[in-house]
Amino acid sequence: MSAHTETAHGNEELNYLNWKTGIWSWLSSTDHKRICFLYLFAIMIFFIGGGIAALIMRTELAFSGAQIIKDPHTYNVLFTMHGVFMIFLFVVPGIPATLGNFLIPLMIGAKDVAFPRLNLFSFYVYVIGALIGGYAMLNPVDTGWTFYAPYSTTTDTSVSLMVFAAFILGFSSILTGLNFIVTIHQLRAPGMTWMRLPVFIWASYATAVIQTVATPVVGMTLLLVIAERMFGAGIFDPSKGGDPVLMEHLFWFYSHPVVYIMVLPAFGVVGEIIPVFSRKPLFGYKMVVISSMAIAAVGFIVWAHHMFVAGISDFSAKFFSIITFLVAIPTAIKVFNWVSTMYKGSISFKTPMLYAMAFVFLFMVAGTTGIYLAMLGVDVYYHDTYFVVAHFHYTIQGGAVIGLIAALHFWFPKMTGKMYNETASKAAFAILFFGFNLTFIPQFILGMDGMPRRYYDYPAQYQTLHTISTIGAYLNGFGYTFALINLLWTAKFGKVKAPRNPYNSVSLEWQTQSPPVHENFTEIPVVDQDPYHYGTPNHKHA
Amino acid sequence: MLGLLGEQGSEFAHKVDFANDVVTIISVICTVAIVGAMLYFAVIYRQRDGKDHETPMIEGNNTLEVIWTVFPTLVCIWVAWLGYDAFVDLRSPPADAMEINVTGRKWAWDFQYKNGKKTTSELVVPVDQPVKLIMTSKDVLHSFFVPVMRTKMDVIPGRYTYEWFKPIKTGDFQVFCTEYCGNEHSKMLARLKVLPKAEFERWLADDSEERKLAALKPSDLGKELYAGKQCISCHSLDGTPRVGPSWLKAFGKEGELADGTKYKMDENYIRESILNPQAKTVKGYPAMGMPSYQGQLSDDEITGIVEFIKTLDGSQKVEVEAVAPKKSAAAAGATPVERGKALVHDTGNLCITCHSLDGSKLVGPSFKGLWGRKEKLSDGSEVVVDAAYIKESIWKPAAKIVEGYGPVMPAMYEGKLTDENLNDIIEYLKTLQ
Amino acid sequence: MSNAAIVDHNVPPGEPPIIHHMDSHTAYGAAKLGMWLFLATEVLLFAVMFCSFAIMRYYHLAEFHDASHHLNLWAGALNTAILLFSSYTAAVAVTKAQQGDNAAVVKNFGISVFCGFLFLIVKTYEYTGKAHHGMFPFVWNSNFYEYKNFLGIYYCMTGLHALHVIIGMIVMTIYGIIPATKNRFSGKYYTPVELGALYWHLVDLIWIYLFPLLYLVG
Repeated sequence: MSAHTETAHGNEELNYLNWKTGIWSWLSSTDHKRICFLYLFAIMIFFIGGGIAALIMRTELAFSGAQIIKDPHTYNVLFTMHGVFMIFLFVVPGIPATLGNFLIPLMIGAKDVAFPRLNLFSFYVYVIGALIGGYAMLNPVDTGWTFYAPYSTTTDTSVSLMVFAAFILGFSSILTGLNFIVTIHQLRAPGMTWMRLPVFIWASYATAVIQTVATPVVGMTLLLVIAERMFGAGIFDPSKGGDPVLMEHLFWFYSHPVVYIMVLPAFGVVGEIIPVFSRKPLFGYKMVVISSMAIAAVGFIVWAHHMFVAGISDFSAKFFSIITFLVAIPTAIKVFNWVSTMYKGSISFKTPMLYAMAFVFLFMVAGTTGIYLAMLGVDVYYHDTYFVVAHFHYTIQGGAVIGLIAALHFWFPKMTGKMYNETASKAAFAILFFGFNLTFIPQFILGMDGMPRRYYDYPAQYQTLHTISTIGAYLNGFGYTFALINLLWTAKFGKVKAPRNPYNSVSLEWQTQSPPVHENFTEIPVVDQDPYHYGTPNHKHA
Repeated sequence: MLGLLGEQGSEFAHKVDFANDVVTIISVICTVAIVGAMLYFAVIYRQRDGKDHETPMIEGNNTLEVIWTVFPTLVCIWVAWLGYDAFVDLRSPPADAMEINVTGRKWAWDFQYKNGKKTTSELVVPVDQPVKLIMTSKDVLHSFFVPVMRTKMDVIPGRYTYEWFKPIKTGDFQVFCTEYCGNEHSKMLARLKVLPKAEFERWLADDSEERKLAALKPSDLGKELYAGKQCISCHSLDGTPRVGPSWLKAFGKEGELADGTKYKMDENYIRESILNPQAKTVKGYPAMGMPSYQGQLSDDEITGIVEFIKTLDGSQKVEVEAVAPKKSAAAAGATPVERGKALVHDTGNLCITCHSLDGSKLVGPSFKGLWGRKEKLSDGSEVVVDAAYIKESIWKPAAKIVEGYGPVMPAMYEGKLTDENLNDIIEYLKTLQ
Repeated sequence: MSNAAIVDHNVPPGEPPIIHHMDSHTAYGAAKLGMWLFLATEVLLFAVMFCSFAIMRYYHLAEFHDASHHLNLWAGALNTAILLFSSYTAAVAVTKAQQGDNAAVVKNFGISVFCGFLFLIVKTYEYTGKAHHGMFPFVWNSNFYEYKNFLGIYYCMTGLHALHVIIGMIVMTIYGIIPATKNRFSGKYYTPVELGALYWHLVDLIWIYLFPLLYLVG
């Protein structure tokens, strides 16, 4: 890829981090790279909050009977807040709002996103949503993040405030998605054709489409829940002539696509890391691109696989089961292509590559356990048991969160201009990976034994597996803490300067200095190659 | 085959299990294969001494893409069919299935049979006979899950849903609520009791209990329950404090709770104390003394107890005879220690209500280190805690009381626990050193 | 470069603003694409309510028929005419902006905004009429309790629509009328007028579906 970039005029040290200082310059910045950090700071607060809620719950669940939580209502609040924080305030903004913001203009050769002021506005909409949600914590909600009616329309906790916060957060998501779609359409550098885009861009594009199309649906559904609570409109509550299953349909119409919002960017990240550390082109680029778009599209028509035992017709159940298998295939194709990229590669094991390889394992578990749940007769057994809890933690944590941490490590030199200590980051990875599996493999077994979810207490025969799971949870939490503190410390106090392109990537964002100047490129590059141009052409296969 | 889902209690359970087994084997093979390939490539193509080596610019292979699209699709079609096949059975009750009405409510399951018989928290069915549950909810969404039968279906207010199964073995099985429904969601359990056909017919026809209770006025119903539900074990009617306060002249009494705040014993206080006893414990009584009756008493029965307490104003002496309690549920577990542990932990037996497992002193001596210990009794003599002593203390608690403890252990185990149960308990106690 | 220079409107009248990272042609394409995407999200927002309406109507057909007769058909029809006319003037405003006729932009957008006011007045008349009969949230009269399902969704849909009418009026005023008074638009630059009119067309379109569904079909 021939990219004509020069260092900033005069002082090479000048970059987007230091050319303007002071907190106001950060809070009012429309620079997509700074907005990435604003979001990163905010979502990490909720990652930690949601994580603490999880550890408290796991401590309680370590043994049968009441331990540190004396009444079930507190437990119910905790699992609700864990879900709300993690999903709406952490993973959904997740990679798109942080790494997406940072990388999309850089990867396509643009100076910023299409609507920079809208970008900053989106951040503040997120903040407002978060503040309203925080205010709702004064009478914290106990409905679960799924807000099923009629429990959610009748319980006397702050449901209206909390779902209104979720509505506002949804707006932030919509506007970000809209911004990214327009950016990718309009601002690609000359020569950057659609089929020369890095897969992270394709993944972000697919994600942005889902964000824009699916989020309004849940936004409106939540407004209707508020209308029902405040005005007595009878849409979901059967005592007023409404239909609770309608609420489930409308809710899951968004909430299934949302899992693809969460995980597609992570797929993109893995697709960027593996070629770099294998020194080989991404195997099957076209298929990877097609599968991303296929997942986004098919993901819209599988929602009722969350409702097989909700009282839907047998015909509906059969339909949604078949389509759900359809969405599993593209994901499998991606995994095969990633592994094939490593074939005859020249493989180095820096931290990002370890995370990417871990991702392959974790997503195989996630995907195959998803197959169980797509099978009708089998899902009847597993629905609402710990099997489902373990499955979605493998997809969301083992998928999306690992993808985020991998991305933070991979692009850390680009974002901060510094290199972190590899030994520390690898140690943190090992603890995190071991702890995660130790937490959730017992939960698959618990599900097979019939243990239901959202249970504050359980019959004594389930105890041993719960105790093991809790130990894993503490290790998992410690691993993340260690990994993030390592990065945070290095960002603030690290002394080792990063070269412009420490991993010798041929992708466009690595052709500018690390960290980039404010406008990314002093001269817009002209692109004449794809971003995976590794290896020797016509190399004789041994 | 692999036995992953435990005991098979219904006729179609094996189909569900087969589907589960197949997908498990395929998943394990695929995961091992893919991750294995990845690790293999990682090892044999790794950079040695940190030195990059030449790599071929392979951009893809259409044949491979076709293979690994078609093959997973075929596998998916197969497992989809297996799941579908099991599902069809799960959703096809035979025409001659016996129908039972189920109502879920916060937070218990009510059952009603065609002949009018009603039960709460216990569903009794005959073996080898298809049973179809017609279900609804009184308030919010719940879900009726019977793991051993492999069936589950949500119950929805304002609507009916159904699930069915044909039990193939007798026994007692667990029922869970599996749709979050509020505070006591994890306590909204029930027991599925599968009886031999003849015994079931007898049970179904037996409405003596119902007729008797229906004819009673509320305070008399409360009096029946006082004995039948074992309130008598811990609450006296003559003023003597036992594990719990006496009910004599209790109604309307004002006093102090354990946390220092005031309480008044009115209808609401009594109801709360029955369903959530730890909420407001009276000062001077053990904090964890009373088990919850959540799911075990209907609203009418609670009213009956309240009315009975109101009659205990001291104007006349009221005496109630202790009732032989219902047999304890079949303890789960393969080994004696496991069975003993289940019995000790069963809240219906009240053991851990008064005896701790960690050495702390509650109402009764701790079970930790109890076996083989030398204890001083209230009459000055000494005894070594052996099998004979433990059995005697369970059958006749007042016989040999350890010094420093009161004569408050209820004599409610004769007829409730068998000798085999006691042997299992002893085996478990031996492990608590 | 300060943030204020992201979009620099300090240009001669009729010239497109200077955007620091896009040329004006790309910026126009970006703005249009952005607005169409946003309109798509608005359509989905209302689609949820249309869907709920269909399902509630399926369950409560008799109630919906009866309740819909209690709506003021003439008010609804009048509102439809008002909005259709205002969409026409909005379209005219776009053409005039392309021709550089800023005075006509002010006039036509002004009429559209004024029509918006009329729409809201008629709506207020309808709502207060209902409140007077106790068919309004917070003052439900037991006489009409059985229409709660219909009225619940009726108020959600028309209320949210009215909110969008207000938003459209604000957008046309701030981004259309006020700049036009300063001769901002020309054949080279008329983006805000076009986008504002697009939004207004959507508001109108939603009403075109609402009116028959709520007032006629019932």
